[in-house]
Amino acid sequence: MIDDLYFIEKHAYAVSIVHRLDARIKLLVALAAIVAVVAVPYSTKVYEVGAVLFALFALLWAASRLPPAVYFRRLVLILPFGIFLVGFQVFVKNPYYDVFHTIATLPFGIEVYAESMQFASILLVKFIVSISFVILLSSTTRMQDMIEAAGRLGLPREFTLTLGMMVRYIFVFADMFGRIRTAMETRCFDPLDRTLPYRYRLHQVGYTVGTIFIRSYEQGERTYTSMLCRGYGENAGLYIRRKPLRAGETVFFVATLAFIVLSTVAIYLQP
Amino acid sequence: MHIPDAFIPMGQALVYWVIALIFIALALRWARRSMGEEKIPLVAVLAAGIFAIQALNIPIPWGTSGHMVGAALAAIVLGSPFAGVFVLTLVLLVQGIIFGDGGITVMGANIVNMGVVGGFVGYYGYAAVKGVIGNTYAAAFIAGWASLFISAILCAVELAIAGTFPLSLGLTFMGTYHAVIGLIEGGITAVALYLIASARPDILEHPQAVSA
Repeated sequence: MIDDLYFIEKHAYAVSIVHRLDARIKLLVALAAIVAVVAVPYSTKVYEVGAVLFALFALLWAASRLPPAVYFRRLVLILPFGIFLVGFQVFVKNPYYDVFHTIATLPFGIEVYAESMQFASILLVKFIVSISFVILLSSTTRMQDMIEAAGRLGLPREFTLTLGMMVRYIFVFADMFGRIRTAMETRCFDPLDRTLPYRYRLHQVGYTVGTIFIRSYEQGERTYTSMLCRGYGENAGLYIRRKPLRAGETVFFVATLAFIVLSTVAIYLQP
Repeated sequence: MHIPDAFIPMGQALVYWVIALIFIALALRWARRSMGEEKIPLVAVLAAGIFAIQALNIPIPWGTSGHMVGAALAAIVLGSPFAGVFVLTLVLLVQGIIFGDGGITVMGANIVNMGVVGGFVGYYGYAAVKGVIGNTYAAAFIAGWASLFISAILCAVELAIAGTFPLSLGLTFMGTYHAVIGLIEGGITAVALYLIASARPDILEHPQAVSA
């Protein structure tokens, strides 16, 4: 995951109409879309809501002028645990259906149910739509902008300050992590190498974890000292300048939000 | 163990968010009181460090790899369960919003599972076991193991309540898998604590208790 840090942030620095959009709007639109698709009860209506929201996502992604390959690469990284949970569904019953029809019987008495297949596909649609919006958000918004936006939306000072610093230092530690890995490789040490005694590997990895911990703590101390030198005190916070929305941005925000809410409600209320 | 969006219905997800927010508010109060202004930069940079620690592939006996959570380690070293809650909340926020690892609506549940359970079981488990058997590193090992194992059990229970994963299978799979990964989490927590106690004993909130 840490290796993708630069990959993600690089694309967030691209220039497009979506990248230029105020981060508050992107944050809220992504949140609205995710909440909408999650809030629709588990039923076949999820397909329609999912299709509408995915179309919205695809439109925004196209407008961001990022290649589709970026989306797919990020999608593949996120999928595993969700896919495991989805894939498992077809073999088990769930409380959302009353009757289950077996469509296939596998060895060891494992059965595949039609209703469970449907439930799995509903989960998959919800899952894909929600992560698509997260990918859109983080691929088109710089981390610092996102934190400032959250601050403008009312996130408490302690969080904007800590998140702002954390995001900055994640890059420092990503580099450090890379150096540690290189150092391990040059010494022919691989934590997953099964020819080495297990205890030895555990010790080495344990020391590495301890070292990262101490180094991050010491970095925290140095940062604190240098912040004190620059006038940091109890009531300090991340400086967030006021940034009124442009007229076009407001129109886009209201229209998109209305589209998400109305289309979801309309599909849900359909008989 | 990062539950993705859609696997917990909205209503239940909100309940977990409320529980998480209560603990986050308590963690904020802890940060303000215990060390005042200094804790903020420290916790922020430490969260970045834990993020890197979670990226490290650790060996699991039967050949696959997993990764640490680190909540117990943070809670033990900084001497408060709320340290685990605070650090893990920051890590999970970044993982969820930037990387898409763990959902947005279910982030409350993830914070409860890993941050709250990790921090509290890690810290109080450590304190309790150390009180009984007296060995710091054995206590850290057991606390690290228990923090991960109980997190996984809670995760399985939440998915079962949500109706997206049957309880018996969830407990068997998640339970067994994390009972084993927990051994590594515990082992590494103990080794890392030993290193910290030897190299920077002043970092530890209760240094007199840890003699390297």
